[in-house]
Amino acid sequence: MESQSKYFKPECIEDAQETAKSLGTNFRYVAGGTDVMVNRHQGNEKCETLIDLTAIKELKQISKGEKFLSIGSLVNLEELCKNSDIANEFPVLCDAAKSVGSPLIRKWATIGGNLLCENRCIYYNQSEWWRESVGYCLKCEGSICIATGSKKYCYSEFISDTAPALISVDAMIEIVDNGASRIVQLEDIYTGDGKQPRNLKDSALIKAVLLPLSYGYESVFKKLRIRKSLDFTSLTTAVSSNCNGKLKIAASGIDPKPVVVEGTIKSDKEELIARVLSKSRAINNEMFTRKYRREMVRNFLSNSFEELGIGDLGE
Amino acid sequence: MKLLKLRINGVTREISIEEHDSLATVIRERLELTGTKIGCEQGSCGACTVLADGVALQSCIAPAMRFEGSEITTIEGISSNNELHLLQRKFIEKGAIQCGFCTPGMVMTSYDFIRNNPDATVDDIREALSGNLCRCTGYKKIIEAVAETLHGMKDSSPASNGLQESKHIVGTGRPYIEAEKKVKGSAEYSDDIKFKNALHCKLLRSTHPHAVIESINISAAKELDGVRYVMTGSELPATFGVLPISQDETALAVGKVRYIGEIVAAVAAESEEIARKACSMIKVSYKPIRSFLEIEESLFSINENEKIHPETRFDNNLHKQAELNFGDADGGLKISEHHSEMDFEFEGVTHAFTEPHAATAYWDENGLTLITATQVPHYLHRALSKVLEVPLGRIRVIKPYVGGGFGGKSDPFPHEIIVSYLAMKTGRPVRIRFSREEVFISNHGRHPTKMKMELGCDSEGKLNAMKAEILIDGGAYASFGVVTSYYNGVLLQAPYKLENFAFRTSRVYTNKPQSGAMRGHGAVNSRFAIETLLDDLAEKTNTDPCDLRLRNFLEPNTMTVGHYRITSNGSKESLMKVVTDSDWRNKYRKLPFGNGIGIACGFFISGSALPILRNELPQSVVHLKLDFDGRVLVSSGASDIGQGSDTMLAMIVAETLGISMERIFVIAGDTLINPVDLGSYSSRVTFMAGNAALMAATKLKEEITKAVQRVSGLDTETLIFSDDNVYSQEGNLRLSWMEATEAATAGRGALTVSGHYTSPKLGGNFKGAGAGLSPSYSFGAVAAQVNVNIDSGIVTVENIWGAHDCGRAINPLAVEGQLEGSWHMGMGQAVSEQLRYFNGLILNSNFIDYKIPTSLDVPYIKTNIVETNDPEGPFGAKECGEGALHPVIPAIANAVYDAVGVRITKLPISPETILEFFNARKDRTENQILTNII
Repeated sequence: MESQSKYFKPECIEDAQETAKSLGTNFRYVAGGTDVMVNRHQGNEKCETLIDLTAIKELKQISKGEKFLSIGSLVNLEELCKNSDIANEFPVLCDAAKSVGSPLIRKWATIGGNLLCENRCIYYNQSEWWRESVGYCLKCEGSICIATGSKKYCYSEFISDTAPALISVDAMIEIVDNGASRIVQLEDIYTGDGKQPRNLKDSALIKAVLLPLSYGYESVFKKLRIRKSLDFTSLTTAVSSNCNGKLKIAASGIDPKPVVVEGTIKSDKEELIARVLSKSRAINNEMFTRKYRREMVRNFLSNSFEELGIGDLGE
Repeated sequence: MKLLKLRINGVTREISIEEHDSLATVIRERLELTGTKIGCEQGSCGACTVLADGVALQSCIAPAMRFEGSEITTIEGISSNNELHLLQRKFIEKGAIQCGFCTPGMVMTSYDFIRNNPDATVDDIREALSGNLCRCTGYKKIIEAVAETLHGMKDSSPASNGLQESKHIVGTGRPYIEAEKKVKGSAEYSDDIKFKNALHCKLLRSTHPHAVIESINISAAKELDGVRYVMTGSELPATFGVLPISQDETALAVGKVRYIGEIVAAVAAESEEIARKACSMIKVSYKPIRSFLEIEESLFSINENEKIHPETRFDNNLHKQAELNFGDADGGLKISEHHSEMDFEFEGVTHAFTEPHAATAYWDENGLTLITATQVPHYLHRALSKVLEVPLGRIRVIKPYVGGGFGGKSDPFPHEIIVSYLAMKTGRPVRIRFSREEVFISNHGRHPTKMKMELGCDSEGKLNAMKAEILIDGGAYASFGVVTSYYNGVLLQAPYKLENFAFRTSRVYTNKPQSGAMRGHGAVNSRFAIETLLDDLAEKTNTDPCDLRLRNFLEPNTMTVGHYRITSNGSKESLMKVVTDSDWRNKYRKLPFGNGIGIACGFFISGSALPILRNELPQSVVHLKLDFDGRVLVSSGASDIGQGSDTMLAMIVAETLGISMERIFVIAGDTLINPVDLGSYSSRVTFMAGNAALMAATKLKEEITKAVQRVSGLDTETLIFSDDNVYSQEGNLRLSWMEATEAATAGRGALTVSGHYTSPKLGGNFKGAGAGLSPSYSFGAVAAQVNVNIDSGIVTVENIWGAHDCGRAINPLAVEGQLEGSWHMGMGQAVSEQLRYFNGLILNSNFIDYKIPTSLDVPYIKTNIVETNDPEGPFGAKECGEGALHPVIPAIANAVYDAVGVRITKLPISPETILEFFNARKDRTENQILTNII
């Protein structure tokens, strides 16, 4: 059988995007490959062309400027944890990175890849045969959501661990497309629709993550899972306060996009928790129930407030 | 196709590959370096780990094209000039290798780690290995091997081999005889053995849980270029099954399907890809029938045409009912001062061995040869004969190295029959390898179970009576189910003395993959129940749970209520060992809230006294051959699946003949070359094959003695065989082993002897009396300490102290490995493992969602071997591979009760349930406070 599969390994962003544009939607960028390759094995991902980004050196830099700490999107999670600037300025990001997958995964998985990893649902992350047996869900050409049994909306979960950590410290990302680059708040790229979880064009690339320096963030990171390694998150929360008294909560694992709630360190904590819960559209689509995960949102956040020393400041 | 150039283990190679091939495929299939294993293809087990430009990489999820120009190092590349790396030597020395399937990946991950972390702590090592799954060892010995490597690297003095030098072979721990092969990646497992011109087989599986097959259209698939044969069920209609009394399975579905995943058609083609494509071109038309997915549903009265197996004799989907009564259970309960009664529920769990099923079949002038990952070559041999209608004498089953089994490879499997048939039809070798999903679908794991259990005792805590009502979910076929049904009940009659005991087990068919035998077969869940009730009775009688157990233990050399003959019995010693080790008396009910300690006991058979097939064959036969070169060939049908039975046989023979292990050569697991052994199941191999080896070695000794007497003219009755010498007590005769060999082979050539083992006649004279009869029983105890997170309800097992009476440890290093592996597996069932279903389809058929513990989840384990010298075991030995699993689960659950007061009656332990309990209590407390204020 003649296979149509193609593999490109460009050495600069321009070449990568040029190749991408010539292929319409029938391609996929691959960074570490720890998410994409598994999805391909399962038949959830079938593009004929893979564009491997790992030879693009300019995506691998970590640099500390005056206002921002910039992390190239291709920095892998193990390297990221070892970087002293990140460890000093944003330990919450190290906590998050260390919680991803397993040590073997973290040697190759990149920060950019983790921000863009595909949403998950136990009724979707299955083999072709399996999905045929249940009658294909919305996320793979079916007509209804299998997890809810009836809904016409995809609730597959956003499961990045690093995204909540980054969002809580106001991270921005630099996106390159059509020869131009723009900088947006990280949370703005997520749509909340499990079927199309990101609003980026297929050919767009994240060049770097930008972390604002000199805000004196204090953060607490938490991840819910049964095993201490390998597991995807069932709930990840990051809570950060800054020197101006701003408080930002970001959570994954409970909605098709990161749930983000902002307040101040003096905000009513019960109200903050209620806002997170009201934004969360968690359903029963993973190992833990919706009910339990929602309850754990409360526990994680209360404990985080306490650990930040702001547990009793609510008015 | 594209050319890829890379340096592999120091050599530049240019090879033609498909552009999207994974690096693992390229390494295994194109470069033919099969030391790199494929366990999951999803980056979740680490068996495929290699180094890419020095960095550990899971090659199954790495696109090969990425590595153009890279330096790739595989397990074959880390020893230089046949000198093993220190890490490899430590893996061997510490007994870190059992089945060996995860070993190459473990070594590669460790290799990368130690180079970058020379000052790592043990905790760092645990963390570093937490992406590599091992199902055999419980990680303890692997972590030790890496730690000692780091130590040895710093030390820089030449590493000693660390093994104790001892005159005695039996009783001195030693690595497996094949350990070096496994640590180098050269041990060949089923999928590593390649044949020229082999075809690849892929299976089309049912997408319905219960349906009539109206038609199967294979015409398009047959036309596809590269397809050699497409088969469907009607070609092989004969039934098979591991038990002669319940042969209800066919190689492929015939007429109807009984679970989602059942094989409907099979294709043999020139490549896996073509076979897969052909499967997708087969059109099957199904007419769904009502499906039965829960135990209760299967007990409803239904129409004949709704039954899963129309031939059963009930008007529902009941498969088997097993029931026994001893004494007067109801009466005993009535007069009991204290009662404990609970309902229990257990999810199904599965073996999760690291090596997926794989097989290759071919035919030649000798008939069929099948090379397959199996625990039971003999039963498979018979099943092939029956289904293929080929005489037994035209079939050969070869078991190569097997990457773990735990009961999951102890039935004849449909795919083994299918590739044999396809090889016959095509005249070419046919290969098959399962995906991890297919392994899960094939299941044969522990039965999902519901039970009601009742236990009563007098005011002193002396047990009066036990009563159990048990329902087990068998899935679509029988497998070992009849035995499982009995074991759930009968294996409750020890280690505690009982006079009044009754149970009834009902096994039902459901439209799910079949349940079968899994480590600790049949009795794990009911053991959990009884040990939980004992903990409850201890509280009710205000007795320490250890004292309660001590009060009720059976003595050695006694009979149980169901006529089991108990000989050696180390219950008390085992329990006392863990009580001391764990500092039980200072911890029980004394740890701060959220922390607790629990204890439990168990026992298990050392092989079933009644063989599955009623015939006059011995249960195990061992042949020995001594030839002119002084080497003793051990020939046994026993199946080493990683538990170390080949080494055990070699040690017994070497010890008996007083010769060094270098003079022993073991060939096993080949039904043509070796005499019959029934297989690796029911913890029978050390006891039965070990005894056969002992008998054979003793005979050989007698033959050599006679020959030496003849040659020397001395009539010394007994000669001493020791230190590679044969000599007389009086000192007037001393021959080296080679001289003795010369004497023994003079005038006749190679000397061959045969030993065998058959269990003594045991048991009572009533229906069901045979179930659970064994020539000997193992006993054991576990204490576990846990922390229960008050915010999440998540249970962390912090310590396991275990002790197991294995009679005598022939190879203590291997025994420790079996015990630690058992406790690891039990811990998984306790806290994280369960097969989950959606409309009969397994929801978590991968290593991400089916959660076997990682190195970070397994606690500190203290391992104790208790020796009681069984009167009938070889050198006093009995089982150690399964029984140790029993007590660990209830010990953990009892610890949770001690920690937070939540009684666990469902497995796995659910954090959600614990949290609900906390919340309920919080509400109660708040209400109380409120009430008090008002």
